[in-house]
Amino acid sequence: MKPSVLLVDDEPNIVLSLEFLMKQAGYDVRIARDGDGALNAVRERAPDIILLDVMTPGLDGYEVCQTIRANPAWNDVRIVMLTAKSREVEREKGLALGADDYITKPFSTRELVDRVKRMLADRRA
Amino acid sequence: MPERVTGLTNAPAGRKQLTPARLIAIAFALAALIGVILFALVFSLRGDLGTLPQRAYSGAIIAVAAAVALGWLVVHQLVLRPLAHLGAQVRLIAEAKSDAPLDLRTYRALGPLPDAITQLAAEFMAARREVQQSVTAATHRVEEQKGRLEAILRDLSEGVMVCNLDHQVLLYNQVALSLLHVAGELGLGRSLFQLVTREPVTHALERLHQRPAAAGATEESTIAVVCATVDSRTLLSGRMSLVLDAEQQPTGYVLTFTDATRSIAELSQRDVLLRNATEGLRQPIANLRAAAETISSFPEITPAERRAFEEVILREGNVLSERLEALDRDYRSLSAGYWPMADIHSLDLFSCVVRSLGEAGGPQVTMVGLPLWLHGDSHSLALALERVLRNLAEATGVSAFDIEALLGDKLIYIEIAWDGVPISSAALDAWRDEELPGALGRATLRDILNRHGSEMWSRAKRPGRALLRLPVPAPTRIQFVPPSRPSMPPRPEFYDFDLLQLGTRPPLAARTLRSLSYVVFDTETTGLRPSQGDEIIAIGAVRIVNGRILTGETFSRLVNPKRPVPAESVQFHGITDAVVADAPPIEVVLPQFKAFAADSALVAHNAAFDLKFLKLKEELCGVRFDNVPLDTLLISAFLFPEFTDHSLDALADRLRIEISGRHTALGDAMVTAAVFVRLLELLEGRNITTLSALMDASNMMLGIRAGQAHF
Repeated sequence: MKPSVLLVDDEPNIVLSLEFLMKQAGYDVRIARDGDGALNAVRERAPDIILLDVMTPGLDGYEVCQTIRANPAWNDVRIVMLTAKSREVEREKGLALGADDYITKPFSTRELVDRVKRMLADRRA
Repeated sequence: MPERVTGLTNAPAGRKQLTPARLIAIAFALAALIGVILFALVFSLRGDLGTLPQRAYSGAIIAVAAAVALGWLVVHQLVLRPLAHLGAQVRLIAEAKSDAPLDLRTYRALGPLPDAITQLAAEFMAARREVQQSVTAATHRVEEQKGRLEAILRDLSEGVMVCNLDHQVLLYNQVALSLLHVAGELGLGRSLFQLVTREPVTHALERLHQRPAAAGATEESTIAVVCATVDSRTLLSGRMSLVLDAEQQPTGYVLTFTDATRSIAELSQRDVLLRNATEGLRQPIANLRAAAETISSFPEITPAERRAFEEVILREGNVLSERLEALDRDYRSLSAGYWPMADIHSLDLFSCVVRSLGEAGGPQVTMVGLPLWLHGDSHSLALALERVLRNLAEATGVSAFDIEALLGDKLIYIEIAWDGVPISSAALDAWRDEELPGALGRATLRDILNRHGSEMWSRAKRPGRALLRLPVPAPTRIQFVPPSRPSMPPRPEFYDFDLLQLGTRPPLAARTLRSLSYVVFDTETTGLRPSQGDEIIAIGAVRIVNGRILTGETFSRLVNPKRPVPAESVQFHGITDAVVADAPPIEVVLPQFKAFAADSALVAHNAAFDLKFLKLKEELCGVRFDNVPLDTLLISAFLFPEFTDHSLDALADRLRIEISGRHTALGDAMVTAAVFVRLLELLEGRNITTLSALMDASNMMLGIRAGQAHF
């Protein structure tokens, strides 16, 4: 079965690229535009990995992350936070609230794909 | 004074009063008598000399001459000499060389004159004393005011200069000297313009002069000045105001100033940054747009042409990314710098918050853990923490919180912990934009967090317990200063079974170690032999409740040992005879310590040593230390049988506890407490969770070590 990726971002231009890249890498891709949508998508079917923007409308990314981490059933879900905030303390906050990785925008698309691949490989191992 | 004068005039009243007139009359009568006798003698001896009238004539002349001589003698002795003497006395009084009253008996012949002079002198002296007293008082007041002014000038962080209208320096403080790069003394009367640039100062002075004097009350009486030192190394920013005399006429001016070099440099860096952020981005964006629009508008271009445009898009995208990172870096290096920050001790900061919440009926906050240095603006941090704690109490319904400073790799973490669940990040976010009353510049929580490059988040600490973390910058100073005094030689280990073993199981025996309350203490003593006259000179202690060191609940007292403190012990604890001279004796301090310890278990490193000192004073002080005794040295020996060094330093090092402030009783008690809390965790790992289990382990070690000591 193809690994599944959930993209959570309200910026269509970046979603366009991310969706394309993830599909190219051979993953099953779903998209949510805000925090509530993300949680609904996870409840429907837990993905292997979530690319989660911090500044989503409604529930923010931290909140989504905390909610997912509060449910032991979703322990296996890997969360990569994408954000325009670049300070060290924000990265630390993201990791403290349960993210597995934290990537600052703008990022190199190749590096993002590499990290997702590595994370999924680690998870399967 | 008048009484004294009256007393003097009355002094000779017991005898018959001899007035000068009477004295002179007696003197003349005596002289006449002697003249007659002399005349009779001469007449009878020289009966053959001349006729009777002739004899009578010459005899009368001799008699008169003798009488005059005698009279003069008497007048000289009784009147002229005392007068001269009196004159000298009066001069002495006038010249303020004598305060002694006149001896009236010396001047009997002078009638009421000495009395009058005595009275005059007394009144004169009283008046002079009054003048002197008021001069002394006035001088004292002036000195006091001068002292106060000097203190103000010394403590001001601004440089202060007072100049006259000719710009000569009349007064200055030390800060002014260092800001102006003047080494040593600045000669008074030197021109200000040998130190700072002329034009801004004269311009400001002109503006001040032009202000109508009447408007002084309503208008600001000072104006801003920015000038530079003559060597143009330093930019000074400050304010100037006029010094006015009684007629409201300016006689000079006051200049207060600070070093603005850095803030002005930062402002201009900010300008450069903004310019780069706007202008610097134009070129790559123009390139990017041109390439993208071309590809989009001309789908028919050849693959080779298309490839060239795509290269441009890729390259310019990277350029934009790099430029952004550079801007971001520069911005962060600036943003931390502009707000005035200083190193703060976490205990000071937390105490402010706890006190302020306590006074205003806020939640109960307990300071725990070992205190640390951090860097920030104390006032705004205190306001922020207070607000966070209030909001937490409101949001969670919890009324008791712990607050602690934790050491991170690069930052210090302020951690607030409570029983319950974490706060959602959305809720935390909503607090950020609340304005904090009392904060400078109508700051919000967000502003204060930004100033400190901080964020905050909440998560579970362990099941049932939640935390909120707020990182703040690390201090500029070194966090832990190694002890400057030499390390203490090991105290003798005591194996006194009476001291460490309890005959009967205490009522607390079944309680879990975590649930007990402990008082961890340490003593400083004059020496190592309690039974041979060595005495306690300091006791320090801290409480542990529920496995938390209560930083706010400490005991720290000096004790007067009523004997000299040996010099060889001073090098270890730094406590000299002078330090303990005014301290209360052990009879006062030990009951206070017992009250602090109450019935908590008493913990110390090599506890038997400290306990021995306490026990020896029980009778004298009327207290009994029947608390459960625990010894971190014995626990260490139990947990780390493979080590031989169980000294407090070695143990702290082994448990990775940073040490500062050792070799004070309280400092050592704090370190022992931190060691003890770690040891409790390790004991739990060994399944020793109750007091009775720990005491069994301790007693076993006691037996083993006592046995070893025998051989």
